[in-house]
Order: sequence, then structure tokens, then C-alpha cells
Amino acid sequence: MMSWLGETWAILSKEWRCELRSRYALSTVLLFAITTLIAVSISVGPAGATPEQRPLMPVLLWLILLFAATAGLPRTFVHEEETHTADPLRLAARPSCLFCGKTLYNLTLLLVLEAVVTPLFLVLLQVEVADLWSFAIALLVGGVGLAVGSTLIAAMVAQARARGPLFAVLAFPILLPLLKLVIDASFVAVAGEAQSPALGLAVLYDSMVTVASLMLFPVVWNP
Amino acid sequence: MPTSNPTLAEEHRLTFRGLHRRFGRLRVLQGISGEVTRGQILLVTGGNGSGKSTLLRCLAGLMRPQKGTIECVVDDVDLDVEERRRAVGFLSPAVELYGELSTAENLDFFARLRGLAPERGRQLLQSVGLPPDRAASVLSSGMTQRLRWCWALLHSPRILLLDEPLQNLDDAGARDVLGLLDAALENAAAVVANPGPLDLPRPHERLDLGDGFLVQELRAQTNEEPRSA
Amino acid sequence: MTIKQKTFRWLLFVWLAATIWAAFFYAPLSQGFAGKMGDAPQSSRIVFFHVPLAVASFFAFLVAAAWSGVYLWKRRSIDDHRAVAAIEVGMLYCVLATVTGAVWSKVQWGAYWNWDPRQSSIVLALLYYGAYLSLRGAVEDSEVRARLSAVYAVLGFVVAPFLFFILPRMASFSLHPTPGSAEMDREIGLVVVAAIAGFTALFCWIASLRRRVLDLNAEAG
Repeated sequence: MMSWLGETWAILSKEWRCELRSRYALSTVLLFAITTLIAVSISVGPAGATPEQRPLMPVLLWLILLFAATAGLPRTFVHEEETHTADPLRLAARPSCLFCGKTLYNLTLLLVLEAVVTPLFLVLLQVEVADLWSFAIALLVGGVGLAVGSTLIAAMVAQARARGPLFAVLAFPILLPLLKLVIDASFVAVAGEAQSPALGLAVLYDSMVTVASLMLFPVVWNP
Repeated sequence: MPTSNPTLAEEHRLTFRGLHRRFGRLRVLQGISGEVTRGQILLVTGGNGSGKSTLLRCLAGLMRPQKGTIECVVDDVDLDVEERRRAVGFLSPAVELYGELSTAENLDFFARLRGLAPERGRQLLQSVGLPPDRAASVLSSGMTQRLRWCWALLHSPRILLLDEPLQNLDDAGARDVLGLLDAALENAAAVVANPGPLDLPRPHERLDLGDGFLVQELRAQTNEEPRSA
Repeated sequence: MTIKQKTFRWLLFVWLAATIWAAFFYAPLSQGFAGKMGDAPQSSRIVFFHVPLAVASFFAFLVAAAWSGVYLWKRRSIDDHRAVAAIEVGMLYCVLATVTGAVWSKVQWGAYWNWDPRQSSIVLALLYYGAYLSLRGAVEDSEVRARLSAVYAVLGFVVAPFLFFILPRMASFSLHPTPGSAEMDREIGLVVVAAIAGFTALFCWIASLRRRVLDLNAEAG
């Protein structure tokens, strides 16, 4: 168990060390999200979201997050295959540690993204959130699902041609149910409405996809 | 053969029988068999495209042969493919390490994955004459090859799979790595792939894979050999 | 062709012919669809084709996921071919179900498309089938291709309950009746079930032909 944790930690810290030296994923993801956010904000206008537009705000926020994630998350595995470092990893790391390390890296990357983009979004579009805690939990639950699903699909895409477009094509049908659920949950939190099953179902989605990914990843990764 | 007492020592053995691997219409391996045990070298030769690298990738568990069996015994224990992957020492021109990390950081990372102390990496770097703090991306091709050697030997593997081991190395580099190979063979078996004969530190058997895919493709077009469907 | 295959083909032909006849001349018009126009419209007979196609395309998806699982377990290329054949024919069924649904929707509700939850599900299913096929198109090596697409099919199977059951239930409105809630004449139910069986068998037959083509192609290299 200790060695399993150590191995996972080794991968997570390697990912961040390489990332902090190249800053490729961080800058891509953040710039992408902020550019989109500014475009949305300018289109909505200086007064921010009107009461009628308010239900649309969680949709816009999650679409920004989803597309920013699409721009940066596949890199975890695509970069390994492109720079021929995937085979050394195959020969040295246990698949379960590798998957967990990579997923944790993607998750932390997403949480950084959410931590930067969400406050900006709420301020620029003048959206007031009635239930901040539920809203934060919805962001976390959505982030976990996005990270797990994207990591598995990134590992698949890395072994194919036309990687960039293929990632979006493969990921969307898998991630859309989650997106719908977390948008509902965020909306409920913004409006401060009573309980909705959306958040619970999103947690169910996360756990099902996590279990499935842990089982499927060794098959994707190894021949 | 200078093996230390073979009756007491644990057995390391790699046996492969009837390996077939094709890529689409291209039949690269057609029933290749061989065996290598502790202290021995099996030299695989053949022209470009004859399947040397494919064979080594199959043996390392990086590729699944369509037919045939691979048996890997390390310390008297029969390994499955998962264990074999982590056990072999694999050297190949297709292997690269992280350009963002220095040579020592690269080896540290892989040592941590395998639960080893970082000293082993420093030792190896020193023995091939590589500076520990140089970023892997700025190494020359010969230095990169030396780093590959360090990476392959990091976990003191009992089965070595070495594809073009002397590629890009100068005389001093070749001498260094062949010395490492000789020392490792005290307690390991090696399969070495090279286009032609090599001046290896120990007597070895040779497995010739032939001329390569051009000849095979011609053969496939005329449907001479039986299909491996 | 073996005797068994011949018999199956003839039985299928007779069964489908009888079902189609029954759909037009045996089953009464469904009063459940008597809308603004008063009488139950003849167009409601599309239920005998639309529903079986949708059910069979869902079945195709299950079959593909199952064969993909078998492939990952045994790694025989024949199971991979079975899964692809199921996906390809399933996609055809899915398109037909979408089109018949849209046509019916136009006649019944006045618009081809209105993002009814089941319409959303079927669009996602189409996207999913398309993604599966583009993944196959993007991988060169047949072994890697089979492995990756099998994983994708199994992953789709894990997500499918959300797509087909949970999200449609969560929606506040739906033009589609919930299964079991709609009142249906016994004769109509009988023909629908017969058509589901017939179209599913037709699916199996077409998919097995497709699988044989794939087998032969792979053998030829």
C-alpha cells in the first residue's frame, strides 16, 4: 500500500515538475478559458446577466470549463507518446498508479482552472450564488468526473492519429451526461432552490466512471 | 563461461517459441523461436525491417504477438506479462526520457517508481561519464544513448533486451557500456539486436532474421507461404 | 450456406412480411394518439416501425458492448468483428429510428424536432456511434484498434444508463409515453412485440453478414 501511494505520488509530482518547467498545459488551459470568458462577458454586455439570462449562466460556465479542459487534458498522455516516453513508463510503472497519478494531476489542473475562472465569471457576469457551498461541491464533483473521463480517453487518443479532434469526438458523448447533471446542480445552487437529485446522480456518475476507468485503463495502456 | 557457480545460482531464462506478428498485410515475424539463459547473449541480426525491434518489443511485453509463447523466468520464478514488463531492462532507440528533467532527475523518477534508492542512478551516470544536472533535452545523441543504458540497467534487471546497443556511441562510450553489459551478465541474460555482427564481451549465439520486409512483401504478394489467420 | 441459415432466412422473411401486413391491416388505430384532429390518425401506424427500430438499436448497443467485453477477455479478432458489425448495423437502425421519429413528430406535434429527452438521448447515441467509428478509423494497427474500440464500447455501456434512463426521467416534460404507462390495445401491443422480435432478428442477420465480410477482409490482410 505504501509503495502504491509512493508510486502514485512520484507520478503526480513528476507531472507537476515537468508542467511547471514548460507551463504548457497551464497556460493553454487558462488562456483558453479566460479568452472564452471575455468573449462571453462582452457578448452579454456591461450590465451582466439579466434575470431571464440567469438560468443560462451555469451552462456557459461549464461549457467554458469543458472546452478549456479539452484543450489541455489530453496532453498528459499525448505528450508521453509523442516524445516517446510512454514506453519507459509502461515498463516501470504499475498501470493503476499511473492512472491515479495522471488523474490526480488532471484534477489539480482542473481545480486550478476552476479556482481562477469561476470567481472571474461570477464577477464579470454579475451572477450571485445563493448557496456557495453547494456550488463549490458541484464544481468539485464535476471536476472529478471530467478528470477521470478525460484521463482515460486521453490514454486512448494518444495511441491514435488525429489526436486533437479525436479527443473531443470521443469525450463528449461520455462526458455529456455528467455535464448535464452538474449544470443542473450548479443552477440549483445559484438559485438557492431546494434539493435536487442532480448532485447525487453526478456523484454516482463519478463513481461508476472511476471504477470502470480503473478496470479499463490497464487494457488501454498495455498491449 | 565465467558464470558464478551455476548449480547454486537462481535461474534466469527467456524462451520464445513460434512468434508471429504482422502489421496489416505485412508479416514481420513468422514463427521466430529462441532461448537465452543466465550469462548468455543471444544476438539477433537482420536487415532493416527484418523484425528485430518488433521481436524485442514483443519480448519486453510492449507488443502482443499474434501467435507464439514467451516464457520468462527470473530468480526461478515464472513471470506473467505484467511482471515481465517491469522486470526486463529495455534499451531501444525508440525510448526517450523526459526532456524537461535533468539526467539525474529522470533516473530518480524511475527509481522512485520501482521503489529504489536514488544512489544507484548517480552511480550509473558516473560509470558512463554523464553529468547529473544536464537537462535530458540538451544531450547529444551519443550522450542520450548513454543515458538510455543507465535507464535500462537502473533496476539491475535479470533479463536484458538491447536494441542497437552501440548506436551513436564513440569508442570510449562503447567500451564503457560493454563493460557494464559484461558485469551485468554475471547475473543476467541478454538478447541483443543489431543489423550486423557485434564485438560482444562474451561468446554468443546468433539468430538471423533475414533480409527484411521487401523480400517478405514480395513473398506475400505471390502468396507463397501459408496464411497466419 | 447451411440448411439452418436458409431456414432462418425464410422464417425471417415470412415473419417480417406477416408483421408488416399486420401493422397495416390487423392492428386497430391507437386511440392514444387521437390528438387535435379528433380521430386517431393513420400516421400512428409508424409505431410498429419506429419503436422496434429504437428498441433494436438499443439491443445492438448492448450486443456490441458484450462482444467487446468478450474481446477484451479472449482477444480473438472474431469478437471484435462481431462488435463492429453490431455497432454499424445499430447505427443504421438508430438513424432510421431518428428519422421515423422526426417524421412522426412533424405529423403529430407539428415540428420535426423539439429536444424531447428521448430525442436528446438518441442524438447522443448517434454521436457515440460516430465516435466509435472515427476511433476505429484513426488507429492503424488492427490489434490496437480492436482493443481501444472495445474499451470505448464498454465505457459507453457504463454511461448508457444515464443517457437512456436517468436523464430522460429527470426532464420535466416529455412527448414520449413512459413505457408501460400508455394505454394500448392488446392487438397493438401484440404487433409491436412481433415487430420488435422481427427487426431484432433482421438486425442479427445483417450483422452476421457484415461480420463475415470483416472476417474475410482481415484474412486477406
